[in-house]
Amino acid sequence: MTNIEKYTECFVNAFELQDEAGVQSLEYQSIEQWDSAGHMVLIAMLEDCFEIMLETDDIIDFSSFEKGREIIKKYEVDL
Amino acid sequence: MLLRGKTAVITGSLQGIGKAALEIFARNGADIFACCQREDEQFAEYISDLSGNCGVSITPVCFDLLDEDAVREGAKFIQKSKRSIDILINIAGANFDALFHMVTMEQLKRTFAINFFSQILFTQYITRLMLKQGSGSVVNISSITALDGNPGQLSYASSKAALIAATKTMSEELAPKGIRVNALAPGVIKTAMTDAMPEDIRSRMIARSELKRVGLPDEVAGAILYLASDLSKYVTGQVIRVDGGIG
Repeated sequence: MTNIEKYTECFVNAFELQDEAGVQSLEYQSIEQWDSAGHMVLIAMLEDCFEIMLETDDIIDFSSFEKGREIIKKYEVDL
Repeated sequence: MLLRGKTAVITGSLQGIGKAALEIFARNGADIFACCQREDEQFAEYISDLSGNCGVSITPVCFDLLDEDAVREGAKFIQKSKRSIDILINIAGANFDALFHMVTMEQLKRTFAINFFSQILFTQYITRLMLKQGSGSVVNISSITALDGNPGQLSYASSKAALIAATKTMSEELAPKGIRVNALAPGVIKTAMTDAMPEDIRSRMIARSELKRVGLPDEVAGAILYLASDLSKYVTGQVIRVDGGIG
């Protein structure tokens, strides 16, 4: 599984989505599951998946699928 | 065996209450990440014997609470074990005694850095690991000085009071995710920290207690075990005094 597949899977699992459809356009609070609580579940899954620990500022800035991708790249993850 | 199959993270495990918690957790079947500022040979030998006698795994994790990067590296080390973390006990702390007008800002900031800021940072990291399984118990070691005040202990008491406020806030935020957060407020407990207290402060506090004696680290560890285990699974956001009946 590639890193982008793993990244996408974290969104699917964290938000209990049926499949990957529309995942790439997700933004914070654009769906019911991506609230503040769901946000931290997503962060926990990403940290576990890529064995990283995000800075608090990055957790706050993680506002969409695409923005998150930029942030995760900063942690030397090839996405 | 109240903690069989559980994994706990204990900070400040080198001595005092932390060491007593390490021992009672191991005897109750928990695998443990024993966090301390430095690992010495004596401690390594101690945890080797303890883990062998109890049939549990005890892994030392060394980092300085004044170094945010080191705190993060400590959390990453625990994360990389891929174990589910069930329990976090924040015991590490530092004391600085001075009367109100003698407290320098530098000393106040340093006390808060160790007793509050680093505890919050480490708890953020470790509770994120707990979010995956949707359960966990956090126990913060505060102090009765946070509740009652104590002349000469402005820095320590204030930093420990902040920890109580954080405990109550965290308990509300994390309860929906199945994570309980409680605090203990020990009185005068026989540790290196209280041994270093001015004799008049220590004597005054002991005199105020119903039991008229210092407490022992394992007497606090018993209360930590209660809050960490499922014995207290309906308890969150509480501060329990372990002080021999002061106040």
